[in-house]
Amino acid sequence: MGGRAGSVGLAGLFGAEPDRVWALAGQYGARLGPALRSLASVGGGAGAGLGVRSAPWGLSWGCPRRSPSPRSVSAGVAGGGGGGGSNDFQWCFSQVKGAIDEDVAEADIISTVEFNYSGDLLATGDKGGRVVIFQREQENKSRPHSRGEYNVYSTFQSHEPEFDYLKSLEIEEKINKIRWLPQQNAAHFLLSTNDKTIKLWKISERDKRAEGYNLKDEDGRLRDPFRITSLRVPILKPMDLMVEASPRRIFANAHTYHINSISVNSDHETYLSADDLRINLWHLEITDRSFNIVDIKPANMEELTEVITAAEFHPHHCNVFVYSSSKGTIRLCDMRSSALCDRHSKFFEEPEDPSSRSFFSEIISSISDVKFSHSGRYMMTRDYLSVKVWDLNMENRPVETYQVHEYLRSKLCSLYENDCIFDKFECCWNGSDSAIMTGSYNNFFRMFDRNTRRDITLEASRESSKPRAILKPRKVCTGGKRKKDEISVDSLDFNKKILHTAWHPTENIIAVAATNNLYIFQDKIN
Amino acid sequence: MEFRLEAHRIVSISLGKIYSARGQRGGLKLHKNLLVSLVLRSARRVYLGEPGGECGLPPRPRDPPPPDCERLRRGGYRPLGSEAAARGRVECPAESPRKRSAVERGQAAGSPGKKPRREAEPSPPQEDMETGNVASLISIFGSSFSGLLGKERGAAEASEPGQVCCEQPVLRSLNPWSTAIVAF
Repeated sequence: MGGRAGSVGLAGLFGAEPDRVWALAGQYGARLGPALRSLASVGGGAGAGLGVRSAPWGLSWGCPRRSPSPRSVSAGVAGGGGGGGSNDFQWCFSQVKGAIDEDVAEADIISTVEFNYSGDLLATGDKGGRVVIFQREQENKSRPHSRGEYNVYSTFQSHEPEFDYLKSLEIEEKINKIRWLPQQNAAHFLLSTNDKTIKLWKISERDKRAEGYNLKDEDGRLRDPFRITSLRVPILKPMDLMVEASPRRIFANAHTYHINSISVNSDHETYLSADDLRINLWHLEITDRSFNIVDIKPANMEELTEVITAAEFHPHHCNVFVYSSSKGTIRLCDMRSSALCDRHSKFFEEPEDPSSRSFFSEIISSISDVKFSHSGRYMMTRDYLSVKVWDLNMENRPVETYQVHEYLRSKLCSLYENDCIFDKFECCWNGSDSAIMTGSYNNFFRMFDRNTRRDITLEASRESSKPRAILKPRKVCTGGKRKKDEISVDSLDFNKKILHTAWHPTENIIAVAATNNLYIFQDKIN
Repeated sequence: MEFRLEAHRIVSISLGKIYSARGQRGGLKLHKNLLVSLVLRSARRVYLGEPGGECGLPPRPRDPPPPDCERLRRGGYRPLGSEAAARGRVECPAESPRKRSAVERGQAAGSPGKKPRREAEPSPPQEDMETGNVASLISIFGSSFSGLLGKERGAAEASEPGQVCCEQPVLRSLNPWSTAIVAF
C-alpha cells in the first residue's frame, strides 16, 4: 500500500484548532460531541472511523462499526395514514446526520451525495473538502428496529484549498462530485473531485495486526540487533477494525475551467471529467495524460454562448456519453465516430415556448444535471423549474416533463437578485426507473412516479425527525386562500435548499442533503 | 414605462454581480458570468428600446402577485408581469427560433459554442489573459458603474419617464463592453 495514508489524526487535519475538531466530532456522532448529547435522533455510531485509536484532547473514537449506536433512530412503522406516496408506500424518517446548530459553518455544507453500486456505502462530500462514508449495518436479529442503519465508516480530507500562483486564484476545496467504482476486491474505490483535481481514493479495512517482529519492539522502537538471540515468526492478531483511506491516483492539471462532472465508464477502466468547455477521458491507471474528447471553446472567447453543465457515460455502452449545456440542450456523442467528439450523434432540444419568454428564460433553461436511467433507455435532465425525461430515440422533445416548483416562475427577478436562480439542483432515479426525485427550497424535495403520474412533496426537517415518523406530504399554496398546513410561496426559506439527493440502487432508501445535514428516509417496514 | 425601469434595474443588478464576481473565492465562475451577461444583454436591449428587445419582457398573463411578495425584493419596484401582459403580447418571430437557428449554425459549424459575430471586437484568445481582461473590464466598469448608479438615483427621485432617457447615452456606451463581458 503505497502513497500517503489519509488516515491522519485530527491534529494532522486541523492543526491546533480545537473548535474545528469539536465541530467534526459533533457532526458525526462521536460520543463526546457536545451538540449531540441531547439530541435523540442523530445516528452515526460511536466512531468516526478516522483510523486512529485516539486523538488529542482526549477524544476516543472507538470502533467504526459493529458497536451499538445508542442514539440511532430506526424506521419501522405499521399502520396506515394518509398521504399519497410514490409507488403506494410511505416514506419514514430513518436517520439524520450532522450538527443541529443554527449557525452552519460553510465547510460543513454537503456538496455531493452518492450511494455505491450495492447501496451498502453512502458517501458525502462537503465544502470543506472532506469525504464522509457511511456504511449500512448488517441486519441484526437481536435488534430488529435497526434495519440497515447507516453509520460512519470512514472520514478523510480529500481535497485541500490550493493556490494557483500563476493566476492569483484560490482553488476551492469543495468536493463537487463523488463517483464510486464498482467493487472488485475487498477494498472500495471512489473518485472525488474539486474544481481542478480528481483523486482516486482507496478505502480499505484492516482488522488484523502483525505482532512479534524481530527487529522492532511492540512500540515500534528498533531493537538492538546484538540483543536478538532468537528468531520468531510474526503472528497476525485481530485488532479493532480500522478503516483507512489513501489516495491512489491524482489526476491533476487537465482542466482550465471548473470541473462540474465526473462519470465512470461501464468498462470500469476509463472515466470522463467535464468542465465548462471541455471534456477529458482518463484511464484510471494513468494520471499524467488524458484525452480531450469534447472542446467547445470558441477561438474567440467573446463568441461564447454556452457552456457544458454536466456529462455522463451511458450505463451500458462504453462508447456513448451525453453532455448538457447552459442552453438547455443535450448532446449524445459516440466515441467510435471520431477522436474529438465535437460533432454530436444526437441532439436533444425542446423548442422554447415563446409565451413564457422573460429576461431569465435562458438562465432557467440551463440544465443543471443529467442522469441516465438504469436501463440506459432514458435520460433525465433538471433545469431550474422542471425535470424532463428523454427517450434516447427521440430528440425533438422530452417524453415526460415534471414541474418541480412552477410557482417560482413569477418570482424569477427576485431569485435572480438573491442568486437563487443559479442554484444547481440534481436529480436521481430509483432503482427500477419508475420514480424520480429532485430537490427544491424550504428543505422540500419532490418525487414523481412515472407510472401513476403522482407526485409528492416532502420535507427534510428536524421537526419531522421523530423516531419512526411517517413523512407528511407538504403543499405550497400558489394563490388564493391558503389552506391549513399549506405554506405560501413567500414564506419559503430560500436558504434551505436541497440540491443533492440520492436513491439506493435497489431499495427504497433515499439520502437527502439539507445544507449541513444528511437525512436518510426509508419506506415503512411491514 | 415600468418595463424599462425593470430592465434598468436588472441591468444594474447584473453589473453588480459581474463586479462582485471578481472577489469570489475559487475564481471566476464562467457559467454564472455567462448567464449574467446574457441577462444583461436582454435587459439592455429592452431598456434601449432596440427592435426585438421587447421580447425580453415576460408577457405571460398572470394575476398581480400578492403584495407580501415584496419581502423578497429589494427596492420598491412593483412586479411587472401583469403590466406587461396588459400591454399585450409582443410577437417575436426573430427571437423564438433564435435557439434553433443558433443550433443550426452550430451544427453546420460543428461546434456549439460559436455564433456569427455581430460586433467586431478583437481580443486575444488566450486563457491566461482572461484574468487580465477581467481586471481591465472591472476598472472600466468601475467608472461607468458608479456613473450609472449616480444617474440611477437621479432617475428614481425624478420618477418620470422622461428622466429615464438621459441614461441612454451611458447604456449605449456599454455596447462594446457587453461583448467583452462574454470574454470571461
